[in-house]
Amino acid sequence: MENNLPVFLLNKNVQNNSFQKTRKSKLPFLEKTLKKIAVTIKLMYLQSEVTSGKKILHIHPQVKVFSFIYLIVVISLANNIKSQLSAFFFIVVFYLISKISYKYVYKKIIFLSFVFGLLIFLPASLNVITPGKIVFRIFTFNSPFHFLIYNVPQIIGITDSGIHVVELLFLRVLNSISLAMLFLYSSSFPQLIKGFKVFFIPDTFLMIISLAYKFIFILSKSIEETYFALKSRLAGNVHNKNAQNIISGRVFYIFKKAQSNYENTYAAMISKGYYGKVIFQNETKIKVADIYFLLIALITGITITLI
Amino acid sequence: MEKIISLKNINYSYFGKIPALRNITLDINSGEMFCIIGQNGSGKSTLLNIINALIFPDSGEIYFKENKITEKSIRDRSLNLQLRQSMGFIFQNSDVQLFCPSVFDELLFAPLQLNMSIEEARERAEQTLSYLNIEYLRERAVHMLSGGEKKKVAIASVLTMNPEILLIDEPLSGLDPKTQTFFLELLMELNRAGKTIIFTTHQLDLIDHLQPRVAVLSEEHTIQKTGTAAEILSDEQFLISVNLIHEHIHKHGEEIHKHYHSHYVFHKH
Repeated sequence: MENNLPVFLLNKNVQNNSFQKTRKSKLPFLEKTLKKIAVTIKLMYLQSEVTSGKKILHIHPQVKVFSFIYLIVVISLANNIKSQLSAFFFIVVFYLISKISYKYVYKKIIFLSFVFGLLIFLPASLNVITPGKIVFRIFTFNSPFHFLIYNVPQIIGITDSGIHVVELLFLRVLNSISLAMLFLYSSSFPQLIKGFKVFFIPDTFLMIISLAYKFIFILSKSIEETYFALKSRLAGNVHNKNAQNIISGRVFYIFKKAQSNYENTYAAMISKGYYGKVIFQNETKIKVADIYFLLIALITGITITLI
Repeated sequence: MEKIISLKNINYSYFGKIPALRNITLDINSGEMFCIIGQNGSGKSTLLNIINALIFPDSGEIYFKENKITEKSIRDRSLNLQLRQSMGFIFQNSDVQLFCPSVFDELLFAPLQLNMSIEEARERAEQTLSYLNIEYLRERAVHMLSGGEKKKVAIASVLTMNPEILLIDEPLSGLDPKTQTFFLELLMELNRAGKTIIFTTHQLDLIDHLQPRVAVLSEEHTIQKTGTAAEILSDEQFLISVNLIHEHIHKHGEEIHKHYHSHYVFHKH
């Protein structure tokens, strides 16, 4: 049979020599960003699948949301280090019971707590903000002076009360984030949505959140596929001008995709009888296990408060 | 024939929990037409992504022309260039693959990334447009094309690289019968010209048409069998066991009957 292919397709490519000198290519920023976004969104959506907290997963969503809010309030009100440490202990126990990989989750928690619980509050340990006995001198001026609204003392240092305040704030942030992560990692997305009913949020609004979240997940798949398509045709770092072209093209594609998605979803809702009001099924009844869970949460909260 | 791709004991899972591939061992030769067949969710696309070094396995080894491909080794620019230049990937969803403003820009994209001169890149793009009879699409915006046109542009955008290996995920997905025929003939022509073609499918009739060497992926994400198209298609019990054929009812005129055959392979209609 005759072959009609263009001549260049019948010959082998000559290896391009301009890259022959072996050197490491850096993963371009664009690639890294696309990959990270896609994986993060996917993980968020699939968290209940990738974790194995099966038992805690089946707790009634509204019971779970109520317990979560209650414990967050308890942690926020607990005013001494011992209470916060006990809260930390209880949360770790909850992680173990839930069979969630606490090592994996705590890597994120420690980072977030370090930034939002320690770095931000660190200045509070100074005697300029929290007066007290100086335990560590940082700087000494010739004499005290007045700056804006602050009276700056002669010696700047970290005070014992300051350390206590920072410790307390750090533990509070750490515990709150750990609890929020526990809640997230042990709940599927539909469960979370149904759980919001405890705040009497209308079904229509929950439907909108649900659709938005699902759309973000679909979008993340598109982003990931785009990333692969790009990677398969890129041999090195992409030039700025090309990157601009690609990004503008992708933004437009995503906009078009968003438009067609919402039009199709709306059409599907109409065809299934939607007439302006969303009605969700009533959640199943509260079981004995849910009551036990609620009791454990209540006892934990009381214990933290009393310590 | 020279071994061009070699996979040894590849395992891959999503987020370390959801298995996608288990213990995959495969050798693909230069100039071969090779098909990975399996039902939906068996890991076909994941396997193609691994072959193209877009994702990397949890364990196991991949070799491309005897070069070991890892996430680290691919950062070496010369190896990366060699691999990207040698493999063209045609995705199932053409939309994600086309990201340049116009069709012509799309065809120029890969050659320019591979440091080809603008003159040579233009020449290749023109020849490819002409070969695929899509010159009329030259200045059109990619998002305005029909499904079949997008697929043709996606193929053209890869052909301008002149890859040795073509990876094609579900080649006939979403195409009308005329475009399907065009695509099948194109694949055969490219294979005759010495290109290695690796494609995934769940359609047995495609194997019957192209007669590739076949690897069958099972529901358990393992390779159950490799063999010629004839060997695979003739083993009815095996095809049933991997859910590639199943009992179904169909009509011949007014006659209704029920059997286990793959309709196309056995009835040719």
